[in-house]
Amino acid sequence: MEATFEPKILGMLCSWCAYAGADTAGVSRTQYPPNIRIVRVMCSGRIDPLFIARAFESGADGVLVAGCHSGDCHYISGNEYAKDRITSFGGMLDFFGIDQRRLKLAWVSASEGTRFAAVVAEMTEELRALGPLKLKVQ
Amino acid sequence: MATQIEDQLRARARALLAEGTVELFVGYRQGSNPLRVAPFVARTPAEAERLVWNAVCVPNLAGTLLKHVGKRVGVALKGCDVRSVVQLISQRQLERGRLHIVGVACRGMADPEQLAAVAGESVDDLAQDGNELLLSVGAELSRHPQDGLLLAKCATCTSQTPELYDELLGEAAPAAPVADRLAGVRALESLDAPGRLAFWSEQLSKCTLCYACQTVCPLCYCKQCPLTLSRDDPRRQTREPASVFSYHIMRAYHLAGRCTGCDECERVCPENIPLSLICRKIEQDGSPR
Repeated sequence: MEATFEPKILGMLCSWCAYAGADTAGVSRTQYPPNIRIVRVMCSGRIDPLFIARAFESGADGVLVAGCHSGDCHYISGNEYAKDRITSFGGMLDFFGIDQRRLKLAWVSASEGTRFAAVVAEMTEELRALGPLKLKVQ
Repeated sequence: MATQIEDQLRARARALLAEGTVELFVGYRQGSNPLRVAPFVARTPAEAERLVWNAVCVPNLAGTLLKHVGKRVGVALKGCDVRSVVQLISQRQLERGRLHIVGVACRGMADPEQLAAVAGESVDDLAQDGNELLLSVGAELSRHPQDGLLLAKCATCTSQTPELYDELLGEAAPAAPVADRLAGVRALESLDAPGRLAFWSEQLSKCTLCYACQTVCPLCYCKQCPLTLSRDDPRRQTREPASVFSYHIMRAYHLAGRCTGCDECERVCPENIPLSLICRKIEQDGSPR
């Protein structure tokens, strides 16, 4: 079982940069692990930490939030809000003993297809090493 | 001392109701036993006689005020309750102009559970003499210094005198040395991540998702809550651990910047889960934008 564990990652990508970046990765046929399921949001600032909690609750082993680089936000400052929220929410997860590496925040621009692929590959490897998220009493 | 405040409080409530300054006066009445008080709303000067003020006036009346929005309300509040009310005013849930706050200087409230443990049997009467509490069990009377029996939150209290009031009853207590509010959080943070996960897994496995913590919280004022699972939701019926974790993380997170640390959530928890630790963690981190 351990050897065949494939983590499930939920990716929440901003429509303007990261989602387009994922598209670029696809168009240029860059290979990346199939463990990620992508949800497109209009801005990384739209992501309520509740979405992340619900993702973990519904069986995700990791959550990737990706948006525009600082200063590139289509809505001027949405990604700055996302940074604040995801960072503090990561601290909260850590307090409950949930490894912070399960929640990743990355900045990917529309042209960075290879970077997107690298981020997903790196996160998949990390989660594979961490194992599944188990919240039940052991 | 306490009886003196009780007399003053009744007199003020009576006067305020009689002269029509307020339509309602919110305070406490005697609860189901001498160690319990319950929130009480007096509507006539005669009803003001049922108000009590003693060493176990623990519940936070800020939540009761939310049920009477739009009326002119008088209310007796201790310092910690005033903090909640100030927060509710700044969140525009209460109107300052419609409130008449009778602040009561407080030296800390006794913990009813500890009192019951000290008495051993069901207490027949509770009285106060200076800094001593008098517990009567049958014909026996025992004296206990109040300072040793305070609620955990009172040890770290910095608002013995309320920060906002229209009139103040009792004498402002001298500032006492304050214990470290965040000590519990730091102790837990000094554990490694698996240790913390084990701690919370054990604590939260007791949670029945009864939502008492949410119901009692004066700052949880949303009409609809995205965190509450309906009664017939399988996740609630099976107490799905991931759902319980998610509820408690998000409950605290939603309260970031609003929680005033009244610890009502922990007090009402039927399973005694240390919910105040989660609130303190948020207090330590500050609220995100």
